[in-house]
Amino acid sequence: MKECIAMLLAGGQGSRLYALTKNVAKPAVPFGGKYRIVDFPLSNCVNSGIDTVGILTQYLPMVLNEYIGNGQPWDLDRSYGGVHILPPYQKASGSDWYRGTANAIYQNINFIERYEPKYVLILSGDHIYKMDYGKMLRYHKEKNADCSIAVIDVPPAETYRFGIMTANRNGRITRFQEKPKKTDSTLASMGIYIFTWEKLKKFLEDDEHDNTSDNDFGKNIIPRILAAKQKVYAYAFEGYWKDVGTIDSLWEANMDLLDPRVPLDVWDPDWKIYSRTAGRPPHYVGRHANVENSMVTEGCVVDGELESAVLFAGARVGRDASVRDSILMPGAIIEEGAQVSYAIIAEDAVIQKGAVVGARPEHTADLTKWGVTVVGEGVVVGAGAKVPPKAMVEKNIKAGESV
Amino acid sequence: MTGKDAMGIIFPNFHDASLPELVDHRTTASIPFGGRYRMIDFPLSGMTGAGIRNIGVIVRENYQSLMGHLGSGREWDLSSKRGGLTIFPPFGREGGVEYRGRIQGLASVMQYLQEKRESLVVMSDCNIACDLDYRALIEAHLESGADVTAVYERAPIKEGMQNDNYTFRLDAEHFVKEVRINDYRKGMQNVSMEFYVIGRELLIAIVKEAMVRGHYNFIADVLSKNLKKYKMFGYEYTGYRARIYDMRSYFEENLRLLETGNLDALFPEERPVYTKVRDEAPVRYAIDAKVFKSMLADGCIIEGEVEHSVLFRGVRVGKGAVIKDCVIMQGTQIGPGAVLQNVVTDKNVVVGPGQHLTGAANFPVFVGKNSTVGAPPAPAATAKKE
Repeated sequence: MKECIAMLLAGGQGSRLYALTKNVAKPAVPFGGKYRIVDFPLSNCVNSGIDTVGILTQYLPMVLNEYIGNGQPWDLDRSYGGVHILPPYQKASGSDWYRGTANAIYQNINFIERYEPKYVLILSGDHIYKMDYGKMLRYHKEKNADCSIAVIDVPPAETYRFGIMTANRNGRITRFQEKPKKTDSTLASMGIYIFTWEKLKKFLEDDEHDNTSDNDFGKNIIPRILAAKQKVYAYAFEGYWKDVGTIDSLWEANMDLLDPRVPLDVWDPDWKIYSRTAGRPPHYVGRHANVENSMVTEGCVVDGELESAVLFAGARVGRDASVRDSILMPGAIIEEGAQVSYAIIAEDAVIQKGAVVGARPEHTADLTKWGVTVVGEGVVVGAGAKVPPKAMVEKNIKAGESV
Repeated sequence: MTGKDAMGIIFPNFHDASLPELVDHRTTASIPFGGRYRMIDFPLSGMTGAGIRNIGVIVRENYQSLMGHLGSGREWDLSSKRGGLTIFPPFGREGGVEYRGRIQGLASVMQYLQEKRESLVVMSDCNIACDLDYRALIEAHLESGADVTAVYERAPIKEGMQNDNYTFRLDAEHFVKEVRINDYRKGMQNVSMEFYVIGRELLIAIVKEAMVRGHYNFIADVLSKNLKKYKMFGYEYTGYRARIYDMRSYFEENLRLLETGNLDALFPEERPVYTKVRDEAPVRYAIDAKVFKSMLADGCIIEGEVEHSVLFRGVRVGKGAVIKDCVIMQGTQIGPGAVLQNVVTDKNVVVGPGQHLTGAANFPVFVGKNSTVGAPPAPAATAKKE
């Protein structure tokens, strides 16, 4: 038996990442030079002493399945426990897609019960943060809670984007508002829950029998458990946490890695973030290069200028090319003289000679038209072509063309 | 033909004698090379890439670091129920030299050789990093009809190699007609790289026969004296190679990887070189970093200047420090304002703030493992200051 196991919700499409999730589920989107988003919750689990993780997948699971494999890179290849991919499956009583996050867990009650856990940790696969779930579990036990919800203080102006909790002085949650227009509290739910399993199981079963329910944790389970006057506590988290569900937030979170003032540190040897790596030679910086405030990893070749750039494995930047405030995903190629600013260049995309992609805000007359440019996987932007800010490029662009 | 019908034997300790500083705590096989590799990664990845499933590593001494590096062999896909990696620690006497020559080493694993089913044995030392296509080598061996195939390169005999080389005289069909031991001639020679392919049964017979006669050296005692009995084919390797035979060659071969095209030549995409994974984060370049013509492995944090240098994993270069023409091994910390030129630092060296170390292009300064040069800096540079 296991005291606590984790269930990671990784089925979401991540439609607001557009071109970046055309071929992969959101948790498999590359992040931070050599990671994928899912590496953060998985590494947190292992570093917190949780060695059994179920990953619930549904949307385009192939890349994620292959990436997770037997879980060895995260030390999750265990003879009892370890990491397991849990797609929807056929049962004697029929088969069903996961209808909501709660339904996804409901459909895997059998998996959970194989480990006879006392507690179940529910995680989502679209946040970047480092957190010791062990501390949260201790809090949950101290409070003798039925459910603990990790919360983070957000600016009042942002509360409308989150599920907002109101808690009393002891941390007990008295009220929950989903994306409220107006509220007094600034405690936002991080989508991280610890449940005492026997309680959660009961509420999942009740929810499943409610035909009006969307079978969603935030929308249905949490209000239901609060309405039933169960002991629901807020666990205050301090530190870096970011939802990377949009192009802008994904770009920002990558840039946060480069900002010495932001406490997101992947170099800390005491809390390593693990990933499956391709194993390429060290990166090479050529004689014409100028690299400042950037992250570069194995297999990259840089002979141009980098300023506030995050390069993934095998990205190449040619001579006289410049990459500023941008992200180059694995295998992206920026040819000689091309200029990339405020952009995300997806895997294996090619920006040919002299092309200009994106622009700096200060070089954009109409700031309402400014934003991060995205060039999709494998897209070729022809020599000398121009791609404006905020563009979402999913098809090849011919040489010399202006979009 | 794939390597499935061949097994591999790797000798990690040959050539230790010519690299005293670097093998103080390790074998030639575990010498760090090329930013994130160890010398044994090259033959190991080459063999497994060709489909060889059984590899035995016959160690003589100083093998702790090697065992740590190889583990279960998982990184090379050798952690397998059928076949895989077998490490043979030295047997016999306490402390002393455990075997002399290839023959005695092979004799010590006779049972392993006998119980395998592969018809061929591929043997390799660990002093040369190269991109040898073992599949092509095995094919050439079978096609030639030879008893033994030996790999050689066309190269001059450098000063440091004069006490550790074999050269071949070849006939028109590339069969070896004469072997010269510790050749001293000037000009290009056929220099043995000491990779061999031989029939397993024949190898067993040769080793047994040599042992009873007190012959321990595979080439000098056995093959070179029996070239009529055992036909030896010479297979020329023409690809990129880095032969490590002294401190200077170690230094130069690391820096030679920085010349255009050399990285791609040693690490072609179709034949990847695997090594132990260390889960380091990408390299962090700070705002004032200046880096030219260098290669850097993951986990480094650069706040100063680096030019024409190879930095291994997890190196820290402090603010205002200048690293030029250097090979800086894993975990080295260079304090703020330190200036290093023509220096090789072994693992986990600490260079204090403002220290100056300068070697010559033909004679690098070597700083031994775990040494501290000058006063250690205040807490190590970190990527993020809180």
